[in-house]
Amino acid sequence: MRFLIRRLVSFAVALLGLSVVIFAALRILPGDVAVVMAGLNSPPGRVAQLRAEMGLNRPLPQQYIDWMAGLLTGDYGKSMLTGQSVTSMVVERASITFPLIIFGLLIASAVGLGLGVAASLATGNGVRTFFRVFGIVGGSIPALWGGLLLVLLFARGVGLIGLFPSQGFPQEGWGSPGAAFASLVLPALTVGLIDGASLMRYTRSALADVMHNGCMIEAMACGYTRAQALIHVGLRVIVPQLVSVAGLMFANMVTGVMVIENLFALPGVGSGLIADLGDRDLIAVQSELFMLAAFFLLVGLFVDVLHRVLDPRLRRSSEGRM
Amino acid sequence: MAQHDMLPAETVHDGRLGISDVVAGSCQADAVGPAGAEGSPQGRDSSPRPALHTPDEPVSLKGLGKLAVVLRSMWSQGEGRFALVVLACWIVVSLASIVWTPKKLWETDGYHVWAPPSADHLLGTDGTGADVFSWLMAGARTNLLIAILSVMLAGVVGVTLLMAMVSRSKMVSAISVVAVDALISIPTVLIALILAVPMGASIAVIILACGVGYGLNLARIARPQALLAAGSDYAVSARASGASGGYVLFRHVLPNSLPSIMVQLSLSAGTAILAESGLTYLGVGVPSGVPSWGHSLSTSVKLIDVYPLTVVWPGLTVTVVVVALNLFGDVLRQAIDPIVNTALRKVAA
Amino acid sequence: MSVSIRDLGIVIGSQTLVSDVDLDIADGERVGLIGSSGSGKSMISKAMLGLTPDDAVLSGSVNLSGVEAVGADEVTLADLRGRYVGTILQDPFSSLNPVTTVGRQIELPLRLHYRLSKAERAGRVRRMLAKVGLDAGLADRHPNELSGGQAQRAAIATALITSPRLIVADEPTTALDSIAQRQIVDLLVRLVDDSGASMLFITHDFSVLARATTRAYVLEHGRVVESGATSDLLAKPSTPQAGRLVGAARKLALE
Repeated sequence: MRFLIRRLVSFAVALLGLSVVIFAALRILPGDVAVVMAGLNSPPGRVAQLRAEMGLNRPLPQQYIDWMAGLLTGDYGKSMLTGQSVTSMVVERASITFPLIIFGLLIASAVGLGLGVAASLATGNGVRTFFRVFGIVGGSIPALWGGLLLVLLFARGVGLIGLFPSQGFPQEGWGSPGAAFASLVLPALTVGLIDGASLMRYTRSALADVMHNGCMIEAMACGYTRAQALIHVGLRVIVPQLVSVAGLMFANMVTGVMVIENLFALPGVGSGLIADLGDRDLIAVQSELFMLAAFFLLVGLFVDVLHRVLDPRLRRSSEGRM
Repeated sequence: MAQHDMLPAETVHDGRLGISDVVAGSCQADAVGPAGAEGSPQGRDSSPRPALHTPDEPVSLKGLGKLAVVLRSMWSQGEGRFALVVLACWIVVSLASIVWTPKKLWETDGYHVWAPPSADHLLGTDGTGADVFSWLMAGARTNLLIAILSVMLAGVVGVTLLMAMVSRSKMVSAISVVAVDALISIPTVLIALILAVPMGASIAVIILACGVGYGLNLARIARPQALLAAGSDYAVSARASGASGGYVLFRHVLPNSLPSIMVQLSLSAGTAILAESGLTYLGVGVPSGVPSWGHSLSTSVKLIDVYPLTVVWPGLTVTVVVVALNLFGDVLRQAIDPIVNTALRKVAA
Repeated sequence: MSVSIRDLGIVIGSQTLVSDVDLDIADGERVGLIGSSGSGKSMISKAMLGLTPDDAVLSGSVNLSGVEAVGADEVTLADLRGRYVGTILQDPFSSLNPVTTVGRQIELPLRLHYRLSKAERAGRVRRMLAKVGLDAGLADRHPNELSGGQAQRAAIATALITSPRLIVADEPTTALDSIAQRQIVDLLVRLVDDSGASMLFITHDFSVLARATTRAYVLEHGRVVESGATSDLLAKPSTPQAGRLVGAARKLALE
């Protein structure tokens, strides 16, 4: 309980800190936000108008407090370009990014855990070498290149075996689930395989560490075969560790997800943010950065709590040792 | 011998109470390792916490003797040899590219756009007719610079946080632990995007984002070992004999954490290369016009439908170098572990 | 269950850990195996049940009531383990599964080898806990909530839950404090004798050996150097190796 409270406080403080950093990043622009947004060659009146519209002539602390007050009441501002509210923009984009991340994580877990266990049980030299090469090389491929290779193999039109679309997301979105799903297959595979390879390496080395642990020998002494003991006991013992690693991996995976969204022309959160940045839609960028920061801090919080729940050794027992 | 006969069973059994206390103490080292690994060299070697046995023996790589031993032991393995050769090539090519590339970077051949590999253009040309090989050579030095500076920054950030985390001041350590725990879930790319708002696309964005992100990772990963060293009898006795907290941190805690720090940093170098290609593609990394592998990769992406082969080279380069850095980290881990690498023990002795 | 080991050899890599070991245990007999740490005694007990590391190479023969264990396939060995042979390891905190409850750990051999209803299993676990002197409420605890003595009792309960015919106890008292040590040895001896099972008791401590076994083998550098009735070995060790072990026990006793 004390852990949870401490962790929640640190979450709130970190979020507050990051909001200040994000706010500051947009205020130390050369010139100011209005000048940048209006662009060069804009009539002088336009800049003054923007400045007034965005409240940039107020003192900085006032601006920050207004922004935060808006965020707290769910007002994330409007895009200067389209007039659409940032919240609805992000929700729309997230409907692509979230499934992509979930599919990616599922593939990564299946590949990472499955091959990690298989690699730990492998006895042949050839098989061991294969797993080792897969783990090292798979985790070293840039997401951009990995995506391209998959496109060259499986994309309709370009690939050797044309199976899936390589570009875009259906106009009607999830209205046509088949097409929407198909367009996410290659992006999710790219992200999932690359991170699955890293997870496999980690699973293998963590299993190698528990392999000679007393609890593995005890499990075998109770009547499990080596393979059964590894799956039923070894894997369960390292799960809390793996959750933490997966959490860190998730943070690393995001660079890949953003690249992949751009490569496959998926209008997701990442590619949207990059587009807004390119369009100098800074009000939207500011709120989107904050939302992302909040999301990742939340994921970190969730992972830490889950680690506690899964590992009874870390739980504070009410009775203590007798 | 006569005494044996006189010893009544009861005395032996009472004596056992005395014995077991001593035995329990002397057997602690065994109890720490994998249970039942007695007599099994494999069980010992795969112990995840070998440092427990010798927490006070500084395993820092002071002196050329140790460096030579470590390098030789890395070289003796196929994987280590591959890593060392690739990394050496990388450095040589980077330096060479400053004075010479097969074609001038800005020399474009308008008649041979997207040309396949030929004697004139070893790896073909890109969409502007520029020589792909020359750009990859020049990119090597940008990536080397990014890798080195990111790793150095990560080292400074990580070690500073690490020292704060094991500091004796309860407040400093509590705050830094909580801060690292909370901030570690922020992805590098998000840091880069925040920095890119005022800074635009620049090499500094990559270095700062990677340095901060990997520094946080480093601090978290090296913390258990640093805590162990900070609590060791050696550190405690040094403190008792009047050494300052800072002296203990830098003389005892840091050297003992150095192996895991170095391994983590060499892995970070690989991640930094990958981050460069991603961030540059997203438009917040290396600015256009500056050669880098990410730049070459992004350029070749644009016309993949028509010229699929051009994408092979930059991606392959990045993959091979990152594989080498990962293998380097793996092999280094074994080479600087005095329990695995027996030759190292001899030098230290 | 009777055990007959002939010419057992264990090699890992280039290291010979055990060689030419002959060892017999009759039905219902409690036999000790004593040696200093690193003498290979633990490896012998592991070799009997196929628990040696992957890369260990075994030679010779281990006959468990007619079943040959050396070279047997993993499924045969796994069927022996937990059903006919119960094992107790040195450190209960590392051997009990840290992420499961004590009750789940104790019933594991039952779940793996017998088809019983949940209620039947729970009943057996409850009775077993009472036999080893643990409170029934501990079944819902995790190992890290137990004391060393309690944890080793739970490990004994796990080994004995299926009423196996042979108990292999691999330094079951080494990780415990002195009072718990004596209690655990006495408990183990009583339970084993009550069930009529045989026992192989491994230790480096002659005083523990005297309490737990009637006959013993002295092991040094992977070879049996002496064997006989435990009391004789203790009173008149004929080899210097056994003498050293007895002497160590005596010396510490006098201090």
